[in-house]
Amino acid sequence: MTPPALELRALSKTFRLPQRGGLLPRTVAHHAVTEVSLTLPQNAILGLVGESGSGKTTTGMMAMRLIQPTAGQILLDGSDITNLDAAAMKPLRCKMQVVFQDSYSALDPMMTLCQIVAEPLHIHAIGTPSEQTEQALAMMERVGLHRSYGARYPHELSGGQRQRVAIARALILRPSVLVADEPTSALDVSVKAQIINLLLDLQAEMGLSILFISHDLSVVRSLTDSVAVMWGGRIVEQAATETIFADARHPYTRGLLDAIPVLNPRERRQRQFLTSAQIQAQIPRIAGRGATNKPQLVEVAPGHLVEAILQ
Amino acid sequence: MTGSPLYFALRRFADNKAAVVCGLILLTIIAMAIFAPLITQTGYEDQDFLTAALSFPSAAHLMGIDDLGRDFFARIVYGARISLTIGFAAALFSVLIGIPLGAISGYYGGLADWFVMRLIELFSVVPPLLAAMLLGALTGGGFVTIVLIAALFGWVQVCLLVRAQVKATREKEFIRAAQALGATPGYIIRRHLIPNAVSPIIVGFVLAIPLAMMLEASLSFLGIGVPPPMPSWGQMINVGMNFMYFYWHMAVFPTAALAITVLATTLFGDGLRDALDPTLKGR
Amino acid sequence: MIRYILGRLISVALTFTVVSVIVFLMMHAVPGGPFDGNDMPVNDAVKAKLNASLGLDRPLHIQYFKYMWGVLHFDFGVPFQSPGETVLQLLARAWPPSLILGGSGVLIGTSLGILLGIAAAQRRNTWVDYLASAFATLGLTIPVFVISMMLIMVFAVWLRVLPAAGWDRPHSWILPIAAYAAIPMATYARYTRSAVLDVLNKPFVTVLRAKGISERRIIFQHVLRNAALPMITVFLPMFIGTATGSIFVESMFRVPGLGAYFVSSINLRDYPLEMALILMITFMFCIAYLISDILYALVNPRIRVGGRQ
Repeated sequence: MTPPALELRALSKTFRLPQRGGLLPRTVAHHAVTEVSLTLPQNAILGLVGESGSGKTTTGMMAMRLIQPTAGQILLDGSDITNLDAAAMKPLRCKMQVVFQDSYSALDPMMTLCQIVAEPLHIHAIGTPSEQTEQALAMMERVGLHRSYGARYPHELSGGQRQRVAIARALILRPSVLVADEPTSALDVSVKAQIINLLLDLQAEMGLSILFISHDLSVVRSLTDSVAVMWGGRIVEQAATETIFADARHPYTRGLLDAIPVLNPRERRQRQFLTSAQIQAQIPRIAGRGATNKPQLVEVAPGHLVEAILQ
Repeated sequence: MTGSPLYFALRRFADNKAAVVCGLILLTIIAMAIFAPLITQTGYEDQDFLTAALSFPSAAHLMGIDDLGRDFFARIVYGARISLTIGFAAALFSVLIGIPLGAISGYYGGLADWFVMRLIELFSVVPPLLAAMLLGALTGGGFVTIVLIAALFGWVQVCLLVRAQVKATREKEFIRAAQALGATPGYIIRRHLIPNAVSPIIVGFVLAIPLAMMLEASLSFLGIGVPPPMPSWGQMINVGMNFMYFYWHMAVFPTAALAITVLATTLFGDGLRDALDPTLKGR
Repeated sequence: MIRYILGRLISVALTFTVVSVIVFLMMHAVPGGPFDGNDMPVNDAVKAKLNASLGLDRPLHIQYFKYMWGVLHFDFGVPFQSPGETVLQLLARAWPPSLILGGSGVLIGTSLGILLGIAAAQRRNTWVDYLASAFATLGLTIPVFVISMMLIMVFAVWLRVLPAAGWDRPHSWILPIAAYAAIPMATYARYTRSAVLDVLNKPFVTVLRAKGISERRIIFQHVLRNAALPMITVFLPMFIGTATGSIFVESMFRVPGLGAYFVSSINLRDYPLEMALILMITFMFCIAYLISDILYALVNPRIRVGGRQ
């Protein structure tokens, strides 16, 4: 059996924040991510959803080794990359790439599009400069930008076009894993759909595995195979996408689903937003062995994990 | 290149009439300095007109003759050479010191930043002119010394500008993307951070020029700058003070030359800054 | 806040110490003592004895600590150029002219500059604005001794209404004060204008206008308070510029103040006086630095305590 494309095992991240006031400098621990375990199978798209501040971006950046985890393991194609140094990491960077939310700040304003897309080849010293340019232009065509755009600068493009450039840069090294950190949330609805279709096409064509980070459940539903929901730095529910939408068990997941706008005005209802205390109180309680009275992930159906308290 | 960010800056600059005029004046002064032997009839130290010493401006001697029988126009023109050479050389050294220090402190932050900031604090508590006077007096002045002193105090401004720009750029996601590609810090600084700091570097360079020229003139005025007979406007103003009640041309022309050059360079630099970085306007 | 002030205090004290060490070393590292000049020929034996009596033959760090110990007790030694008195006495004699000129220059220049800046901001793009901008640019770019020169040329040489130099009569103070006031006036005209313009464009000013409050009250009660922050930040560079300029102003107008003694101490290699003056000036700048930092922190409720931006 082939190992999963990307596997996170009990990843945690604690930031130390400086404390204000007082005579001596102090720091407080902030637990951004607590014991997150995720498995991204080959050729699959896994959605990671949650509100801002839930730790989903931190998780994505740790998976990319852009933020060093406090504890836990990261496995890429079955091999542990958690503690590799920059030099050992460099060849592996070809296998794992990232697309960011803000396409404007993701592209260097002083470089032409062709230079931007060719930069990965330049960093990894693949091919001669003319080969790099040719490959970059070909990649731009593949993401739906005409070759003549190669000499342009990022500020001349629309948001959707810039995101295409960012995708072209991420995919030119033919990675097997792509971390997409809210790549569509800054875009208009119609452009959003184009970018999602592009990602789906490229995923099928190149055999990509995508970790898709988003807070937009409608996008997640149309794109992903399975979904993990994060809340307060922990994963509270994880299942196949349709299971989440049909049979959510965790109060926070249900709250998220309720927040999706309804088109039919007759079905509009007064929405209730739960406070974190209310969510805590509503965490499902399940009778079972090994009662701990602490929330933990429990498999309630095959492949459906929910955070619950065993009683 | 028509889409490049620098092209837009150039167009914004062209709209600023005062800055364009100052740029042209500066260009004229530079041309005069370069082609000095072609536009003056005598050298700056030729005492060819001893019998006519201190005579007022005339058609033959546009700015008159000085106390030692030298054509004053020639001395003013050659003075531009000294002033501009010192200005440009000092600005170049300032940029060479300021860019790496600013980039390192902006990119790495932490201890490196703390160290550079303390260094800058040291230089901002000691006023440049005072320290320059002290250094000038101790070393006896001279051309190279003045360039070095001016650079020693000119890099601070460049460093601060580069540091601020690098700090802002570092937070951009394209830096993250480059890190995700496995780029080394050296590559990121060279390829992304410094190109994105071109505007502050150009501005820092141009604005360091008048500061160095002022420093040279001030030191020469006090007699610890460029040694005579090299013609320095500051030193000529000092001499002119003794003659000003009776021979006005001895004081007026060097004062005007220095004022015009420094003013034109500063306004040109201000215009460049407004064009290159509209957010810095009015600082 | 207390931690911030303490941190600044330590940092400034450190800076002051480093400066004093550097200046001390620099003055002793350069070849040539006070008795090496040609104007005072002294034979080697006498020179050694003189150096010993002044403590110039001891190891440098001993000399430094001995000197700084004295400084803490206001003992700066005896100036070489006037051995009949102590450095402290000479300074006591020299500071009143500097203080009178500098104080009134800064005061007049700052208030004129602020008024000019407000006027320019209110009448943007009129002749008032252009005139103020021209004044500000001239004052900020042209060296002080050139400005002094222009003042002398116009008022003393050409119009012959004011004396070019001297300290004895009050009307001989007018030109040096004007020269002193140039930098504060230019600095404040420029920064007040841009700070006031910044605030005038804020939505809350539109609200005040909509409420029918007079333009004058808007400026003096609301805008100036909000514009104070950038105006405080420029105080330090302005102060340093003015204080440095004083050297030129005093030597050009032949005022017997601290600036004039600074020039003479440099030319005569008068170590005790030079060292005392530099320490005094550095100390003054350190205090000014500290005050402007603390003022900034006090006025700005949003300051990010712990670091300068």
